[in-house]
Amino acid sequence: MAQAKLESKILTANRLRDGETVYYTAAGAWSPYVTEARVASTPDDIDGLSKSGAAAYAANIVVDVNVIAVVPGRDAKPAHIREVIRASGPTVRADLNKPVVRPQR
Amino acid sequence: MYIYDTFDHTVTRERVAEFSQQVKRRLAGELSEDQFRPLRLMNGLYLQLHAYMLRVAIPYGTLSSVQVHKLADIARKYDRDYGHFTTRQNIQYNWIKLDQVPDLLAELASVEMHANQTSGNCIRNVTADQFAGVAGDEVEDPRIVSEIIRQWSTFHPEFSFLPRKFKIAVTGAPKDRAAIQFHDIGIQIVRNSAGEVGYAVYVGGGMGRTPVVAPLIRAFLPKAEILSYLEAILRVYNRYGRRDNIYKARIKILVRDLGPAEFTRQVEAEWPEIRPSGVNLPAAEEARIEAFFAPPAYEKIAEPVASFVEAKAKDRAFARWVSTNVHPHKIPGYGAVTISLKPIGGIPGDASSAQMHAIADLADTFSLSEVRVTHVQNLVLPNVKQSELFAVWQRLGEIGFADANIGLVTDIIACPGLDYCALANARSIPVAQQLSKRFADLDRQHNIGPLQIKISGCINACGHHHAGHIGILGVDKAGQEFYQITLGGAGDETASIGQLIGPGFAGEDIVGAVDKVVATYIAIRSSTSETFIDAYRRVGAAPFKESLYGRR
Repeated sequence: MAQAKLESKILTANRLRDGETVYYTAAGAWSPYVTEARVASTPDDIDGLSKSGAAAYAANIVVDVNVIAVVPGRDAKPAHIREVIRASGPTVRADLNKPVVRPQR
Repeated sequence: MYIYDTFDHTVTRERVAEFSQQVKRRLAGELSEDQFRPLRLMNGLYLQLHAYMLRVAIPYGTLSSVQVHKLADIARKYDRDYGHFTTRQNIQYNWIKLDQVPDLLAELASVEMHANQTSGNCIRNVTADQFAGVAGDEVEDPRIVSEIIRQWSTFHPEFSFLPRKFKIAVTGAPKDRAAIQFHDIGIQIVRNSAGEVGYAVYVGGGMGRTPVVAPLIRAFLPKAEILSYLEAILRVYNRYGRRDNIYKARIKILVRDLGPAEFTRQVEAEWPEIRPSGVNLPAAEEARIEAFFAPPAYEKIAEPVASFVEAKAKDRAFARWVSTNVHPHKIPGYGAVTISLKPIGGIPGDASSAQMHAIADLADTFSLSEVRVTHVQNLVLPNVKQSELFAVWQRLGEIGFADANIGLVTDIIACPGLDYCALANARSIPVAQQLSKRFADLDRQHNIGPLQIKISGCINACGHHHAGHIGILGVDKAGQEFYQITLGGAGDETASIGQLIGPGFAGEDIVGAVDKVVATYIAIRSSTSETFIDAYRRVGAAPFKESLYGRR
């Protein structure tokens, strides 16, 4: 039986205090920039993300926690258009778009 | 306009204080999200894709200029400098921070506004004809009964946990400008053969995944009986509405399953039980509320107004704007101006704080300080002297809201869609923008004539696609945005549900498909006076199907 292809995943949520879309990083923090998301590619890693999300939800740091698929590659890029829009803002207001990479100071 | 009494102020302030404490406890971790979610929803606070969204109630779409200024201030101070007017005559802010909500609500309360009952399974904001009190065709001003219903339904203990949300709309005229037959209860103010004013009551309409045109359950209800009758309807629904299945929980499903006749029988059986309870408003209280909506001090102006006639003759663009955007007023020498929030390529229903401030100023200068919101996501200056219409038009041009497109192909309803909404499957706004640009030519728009396009980004139908002459429904097809077309819907007194015309179209093809539908209409119409919806009703779907999909 052919094995289902395992997708790479990242952990996303909205910050409780202000609702901003955030991503769980390799350092165990929450970043507003999707490219800083920790990418999990093994079942154990993905399970670890889910547990981290549940813990942050229980700790009232974030809400609406979800593990989402990303396109294979070096930087985390959401696979579904819904998540692309969450990562970068409404497509109809370029002036309100959010960078996916942390701006350089 | 209605002005809050001590009781209104007290309940509004107390609710702000209560919710402020709940927010504080949530931020302190004393309430979990599961505990907090129903509380925030009762206060109109949603979590969307990018942030919290606050839906502020605008009862029956009526605003004072002071309130519009406050809405603009809130947009600048708490949001990203704009707000979105919705199909339920509310305003939504898209970028709200939870920890700022208490301050925001306190500011709203200072101008007699709130976000109560704009979400949750309760009776939502009552909507009404935007031309209430100024339309020549109305039997009576629908704001009076709307305000009575607002007061009755506010924090009504029996109806705060209904099987599902509940929406009531009122029209005061035979011409339905409030889409009453697509509401849980639709009320039309009518006059019976004896000349008495009362209500025709429709129940069980709605959109969503099961669109229904509400049946009439009572042709004439005496005015004084409205609250007891509404209470009887709600009581039957509250008792028998489906709580086991969210998709079958609206009253439309109960009415459909029982049948309108049996549902009516149950309401009529319940009604006598309620009438003696004293819920009906005493005549003195009704008169007190009615007094708030007494006509303002209009000037006596003889028509024709020479300067107005002259301006139309001299300036074709102005004359054209008058023809679409100025509604006849019941008082000679006045007009009701619809401000199009649908500039070509713009976002339907959006207004910046600067635009809102400018509109409030226009209301103060030219419209007796009043503004209305329409369910088509436009604003109205209800009381403009004809002699001042030219000045209003010019000033609207300065803020980008002078498009002469009301009721035309670019006056599009669009829900926020996947650009903002957590429930959406596809984007709505970009489709509206592309259609608006495709049909931008005003000569072409006027040649096409009345045509309503309505776009929803999911089956919940906030964009009223079921009631669109051309309806567009966004769907997710294997991760891609696709758009289905429905034809023949209408949200007026000839209410009908649009029929799905065939397979959907990819995002890049939907505008071309709509263009084909419009071109087909132009080709088949019997004359330029036959509107799109009339032509569709005459010929049916066949020619449109053929132009979209070829002969099959």
